[in-house]
Amino acid sequence: MVSASEYFGNVWKTLSTTWGGMKITGKYFLQKPIPVQYPDERLPIPDRYRGIHYLEQEKCINCLACARACPIDCIEMDAIRHGKELEWVTFTLDYQKCMFCELCVYPCPKDCIHMGTEYALVTYDRSELNYDLLSFKGMSRDARIRKKEAEEKKAAKDAAKATKAAKAAPAEEAPAEEEKGEEG
Amino acid sequence: MSFLALVQDTITKDNVMGTPHDGGNFVTELLAKIRPEWLPEWMFILTAVGIAVGFIVAMVSVIAMWSVWMERKVSGHIQCRYGPMYAGGWHGWAQTLADGVKLLLKEDMIPKGADRALFWLAPAIVLAGIFGALAAMPLSYDWYFARMDLGVFTILALGSTTTIGVVMAGWASNSKWSLYGAMREAAQVVAYEIPLGVSLLCPLMTLGTFSLLDASREQATLFGWDCGMGWAVFTNPFNMAAFVIFWIAALAETKRAPFDLPEAESELVAGFLTEYSGIRWSFFFMEEYAAMFLMSVVGAVFFFGGFETPLTALMRAADLEGGVLYNLVCFGTLVLKAFAGVFLMMWLRWTLPRVRIDQVMTMGYKYLTPLALLCVLLTAVWEYVRYLVVG
Repeated sequence: MVSASEYFGNVWKTLSTTWGGMKITGKYFLQKPIPVQYPDERLPIPDRYRGIHYLEQEKCINCLACARACPIDCIEMDAIRHGKELEWVTFTLDYQKCMFCELCVYPCPKDCIHMGTEYALVTYDRSELNYDLLSFKGMSRDARIRKKEAEEKKAAKDAAKATKAAKAAPAEEAPAEEEKGEEG
Repeated sequence: MSFLALVQDTITKDNVMGTPHDGGNFVTELLAKIRPEWLPEWMFILTAVGIAVGFIVAMVSVIAMWSVWMERKVSGHIQCRYGPMYAGGWHGWAQTLADGVKLLLKEDMIPKGADRALFWLAPAIVLAGIFGALAAMPLSYDWYFARMDLGVFTILALGSTTTIGVVMAGWASNSKWSLYGAMREAAQVVAYEIPLGVSLLCPLMTLGTFSLLDASREQATLFGWDCGMGWAVFTNPFNMAAFVIFWIAALAETKRAPFDLPEAESELVAGFLTEYSGIRWSFFFMEEYAAMFLMSVVGAVFFFGGFETPLTALMRAADLEGGVLYNLVCFGTLVLKAFAGVFLMMWLRWTLPRVRIDQVMTMGYKYLTPLALLCVLLTAVWEYVRYLVVG
């Protein structure tokens, strides 16, 4: 048997604690949800993250330093030299083996192989994990973005140079020509 | 009056087909205008019934679909998640459709030792009860399937027949988990029918009617002023307390958390649903969501003004009463109020932990029932004093 004060105290406690709980859940209901809608939006990844590699193909001199440094031999590269030009045959990286140790990045004399920030390696077939770092198609999303950025940067640089040259041209035509010649 | 006599009285006085003394329902009226001469009476009646039944079945499906989606979104946002986001494009609105198709395609399994006939019948009985109860719900002042003077009794009586289906499901499954779940459901519903009915007596006394249409019309005037805000909870303070009791009892009636002991999927297997799968399982869920909607409609009509808001009062003042637009506004008002109630139920579900069965019983018998009776007494005193003062 409970006393009247205890009885109504219980009623009051039930109602007030329910309201207290509802205030908390209501606050959470109104706030912005925490998760990120993954494939559409991604959290920023630190620059030093060791994800899928990307290659600056035009800088690479086919010295095989990275392939030799690799402790599990997952890099395969080959190119034919025509004077100063390189004709690429293959540059593949087998992500079935790769352990993302970054040892291939350090020995590169031209600083042309990097660890990217792309991490999604899901494929429908194992053979697809043998990435072709040369073709645009085989490139990771991250590498494509970096390539585009580099191209844009280069285009901007070229444009700046062209305008500078155009400005300099009417004043002193001959030296500008000379400079250009020296650079080439 | 016994229940059977009451039902008989309801049917003979205000049957679905329309009665000599009253206009009948809007389906019959609409069909009468386009009825060809040669069509025999019985075919006309069958068509009217078919349209009405089709409308209610569609309504239950849409309500269940929308409520399930809403439940997932509400629960998601309360837990700082998004809930479904992809199916259908905009915030996963088609998720429930996809789930429904999946459930339809699942294998229809009946356990080996089950009573096949009862196992098959149980979801049908559960749904039939809620369909019948929804038929008593008016859509607006001029649109209704049945003009029932005892509408609220019909809804409560038919709404609680779902318990029979649940007990049947538990028994037919031939599984101890199912049977225990069904027993819990029976105990819980018997305990909470009393406070549910008694707490509803308070607004019934205030409004002086059992009919949902009249109850709504009654709440249009506040102190003789037709402003659409004379809701039962505003005209009598004890109705607010009665509403809290009604709401708790309604949560228990509809097997919603924190009173979802009959099911209790995380602790007690899944109660009476243990052996069910596929579309039969989803019938129980449709019933649950339709029952939630129905309880919210009853709450909205008898405590929170039904079709009445200042907007409807304004439209009456602008002499739009009886038009299609007026009826549409009434319908929208009731649906919005009902879904506000459904939202409140979801909010409570995702706030409170599940209570034990002895706590459920204690709450029903020791707290809600006496408090509901007290509410009725105080409401009666209040109404008598108001009658003496205002007249």
